[in-house]
Amino acid sequence: MMSLKLLSVDPSDRGSQRCRLGPGLMSALGLSLGSPLLVSLPGGNCLCIAWPRADLAEGFLQIDLKCSSPRLITHPPTYLDLDPGQLTPLPCLKLKGVKITVVVQSVDFKKHTNPRLVHELVKDMLKGVRVHIKYVVNLEDFDTEIRYVVIESINLDSASAGFITSKTAVEIVGIQTVQHYKSQLEDQHTVSLGGLDEVSASLREMLQLPLLYPGTLSSLGVSCPRGVLLVGPPGVGKTLLVRRVVGEVGASLVVVRGPEVVGSRPGESEEMLRAVFAQARCAAEEGPCVLFLDELDTLCPRRVGSSAPENRLVAQLLTLMDGMDQSDRFLIVGATNRPESLDPALRRPGRFDREVIIGAPTLLQRRAILSVLCARMPLSPSVDMADLAQRTTGYVGADLSALCREAAMQAVQEITKGSGKPVVCMKHFQEALKLVRPSCLRSSLGRTELSPVSWEQIGGLEEVKLKLRQSIEWPMKYPEAFLRLGLSRPRGVLLYGPPGCAKTTLVRAASTSSHCAFLSVSGADLYSPYVGDSEKALAQLFQQARACAPCILFLDEIDSLIGSRANSHTSNSVHTRLLSVLLNEMDGVGLKTLERRGAEKVLQAEGVEENHAQDQLDYQEVCNKDVMVVAATNRPDCLDNALLRPGRLDHIIYVPPPDQQARLAVLRVCTKSMPVDVDVCLDELAAKTELYSGADLENLCKEAALLALQKENMEASTVKQTYFLQTLTKKKPSLTLTQICTYQTPLR
Amino acid sequence: MSKSAVASVHQALRKNFESLESNQKLWRSTLADCSPLMESLGNLAEQTKALSNTQISSTPLRDFPDLEDRLRFKLSLAIDTVLGKLNEKMSSLQSVRDAISNQVSGVVQLYEQNTDTLDVVAVTERSATTPSIADMLEWLQDAERHYRQQFLRRKALLQTLRPDNVSLLESAPKRWTSLESPSAEDSITDALWKVSFFVESE
Repeated sequence: MMSLKLLSVDPSDRGSQRCRLGPGLMSALGLSLGSPLLVSLPGGNCLCIAWPRADLAEGFLQIDLKCSSPRLITHPPTYLDLDPGQLTPLPCLKLKGVKITVVVQSVDFKKHTNPRLVHELVKDMLKGVRVHIKYVVNLEDFDTEIRYVVIESINLDSASAGFITSKTAVEIVGIQTVQHYKSQLEDQHTVSLGGLDEVSASLREMLQLPLLYPGTLSSLGVSCPRGVLLVGPPGVGKTLLVRRVVGEVGASLVVVRGPEVVGSRPGESEEMLRAVFAQARCAAEEGPCVLFLDELDTLCPRRVGSSAPENRLVAQLLTLMDGMDQSDRFLIVGATNRPESLDPALRRPGRFDREVIIGAPTLLQRRAILSVLCARMPLSPSVDMADLAQRTTGYVGADLSALCREAAMQAVQEITKGSGKPVVCMKHFQEALKLVRPSCLRSSLGRTELSPVSWEQIGGLEEVKLKLRQSIEWPMKYPEAFLRLGLSRPRGVLLYGPPGCAKTTLVRAASTSSHCAFLSVSGADLYSPYVGDSEKALAQLFQQARACAPCILFLDEIDSLIGSRANSHTSNSVHTRLLSVLLNEMDGVGLKTLERRGAEKVLQAEGVEENHAQDQLDYQEVCNKDVMVVAATNRPDCLDNALLRPGRLDHIIYVPPPDQQARLAVLRVCTKSMPVDVDVCLDELAAKTELYSGADLENLCKEAALLALQKENMEASTVKQTYFLQTLTKKKPSLTLTQICTYQTPLR
Repeated sequence: MSKSAVASVHQALRKNFESLESNQKLWRSTLADCSPLMESLGNLAEQTKALSNTQISSTPLRDFPDLEDRLRFKLSLAIDTVLGKLNEKMSSLQSVRDAISNQVSGVVQLYEQNTDTLDVVAVTERSATTPSIADMLEWLQDAERHYRQQFLRRKALLQTLRPDNVSLLESAPKRWTSLESPSAEDSITDALWKVSFFVESE
């Protein structure tokens, strides 16, 4: 049979519950005039009565949605094609009784109208309507305050649909307003939320307590808290959290967005704000209600001067929040990511009683978020959530959802090339990780793109490598062993040694091998012509690094960045001020409250080991919540003593100039990609290059190859030993014995 | 068999349309009687409002004892009388509505009894002088729905008036006139024109 085109309903049919279809289809389905018919549409079903089209044309369908599933009320179907199989005749018997909920337009009507009158009106309106259990009857065509009727139950044993006559007993179970009803409808489709259980539990408690135990609270003589301020970096899910909790509790939500309230005329903004509060008050009469002030910092900035127009708005908000009396049972939730720019008067008990800080998600929170995000994705078994959570340090919820989307896109792109069902694998996530970077580092000065370096690419220096691994890699890999022995992760590592001995490369290798966030900063990033700017930049850098801990903060050439207090001539230069910032940040009194992340976790030694992987993650989260500073210098004598004490730069590692063995290893690494002649003896070269640094050796190999090209006129295929020896006579080592001697003296 | 069923339904339809025409006239005349009553209701509301706005103690009338209360009582008495009269009119409107409803449901019932003999083709058959049964039933049902709607809206308007809300009383006449929907009335008249040959063809 041909498909049916769904057209919009004719105006004259509105409210008639008719479904217009062609007479041929009617006789095919065995329908007569006015036979009840159930139409299943993509968003829900609709009960109507069959009627032939006035022009008797086939292939079209026009439905009046008088009685339909609740979802069709908010999302009416638009032009689409239907199959005749989607129409089924449904016998409707006369109903003896029906229980309904009435949805009215305004609170005013609900309050002042006699229930008997509502009953009388509704009964008249429903006469002759075919109803289905749990469906909504649309009464908007009557143009009164009564908008919808929800059929709660009908008095028939087997059938789910029936026909209301004048003899049907109508019982009204409850009366709601349209706003409340629609918000309830929307709440059924909320997204789930991962990793914010504690915060959402405390929010839920505040919402539900006054509702569940109203008597207890009044007998205690206390007022329940009425304001919560959510503080956190952008993208952690503040807005989503509020919507979710509101949906769970079944409260209605009144949202205020900063720019929507601000009007152009004087006094307009205040008026709108008052209207919003009145709206919340109305909604609170029906059930719990949350007034949500998103981006509060734009709405309520710190008051400056005397006559700025914002001041009046702030003052209005303050008085409105104070003016809430005990009978107003709604909760005000504000959200901001810049709490310091809020007016201080807002942040006191009585206005925003509680402040909830949502930090960047920790390892376990990230894993929870990822598993929520991926719950509906077809994942291949190769995807390891714990591993993915480890790699995404510094990612907030929004970043993680972008990551999952990107991974899914990668999978889809693969499908278009080949065929088959889309399955998201680990490699798609790895691709996505390259594209989606953490947003809390987006504006950071220290963000660097590193080309990965493996430990094998650095010749020699085995001892130094081991020490670095101990301090960087081990705490990540074996956290439980560290905890067992009561070890903590070092705060800082200083690498010192003569120039050109692979200090920087070592750090790069260390950051590659551990999946930490890596920030690197140089003098150029920090210096500024303004007084105090450099210090602020450094402090901000630490703040960002802490937000995405575990994190490595690399300060190259620390001696030029930060001087020493002992031998500087001017006591108050930029250097000393930077030094004081660094000292404070590395081992200060404590963290700012705003940087709190997750919940304080205390590990318990006892307990059955149920899930090893879970424990491992727990250990990791406890051990690796700090920023590790790695500094490199070739003038350790210029550093301040306070910086070198344990607790700041714990490990001081001397990176020595390469000995003969190490030089051989370096030469091997350097000549790996070079076609060397068979007569080349690297051992001999290593023996002859006393006092050469790693950089010198690399340069030597380059020069030898260039010489080969020069001598053999661009046709050289191998580099011969003679070229190496010739270059060796020309080049002098960059290190001197006296220089090395200065490094040998112990630093502390 | 089918012929006789068609004939009986046609007969019922004819009767229905005739009574619809007379009922329509009755409805209109009753409504016309209502509008002066509504006007006076609005006037009384305005007077009540004016009374609340005046301070009698600052006018020469202050020597009369309890003047404000007396006036208020008089006004509310007058409002009561007007509302009582309106109520009478409403009950006559209700009887018109009920008459139409009963007749339409009667003819629909008659059709439903004959659905076995009247298939969709017979129901949708139409000629130059005789509209199809489906069309005529539709017009009747539309008319019935219109009167039901009209009555309900007017009833809701009158029933939600409150003595303490003067502005609601004051705006009542305006809202009363805005409830009229000439297009729906016209479509009923149109339907009656369309069936005029059919009704007279007896």
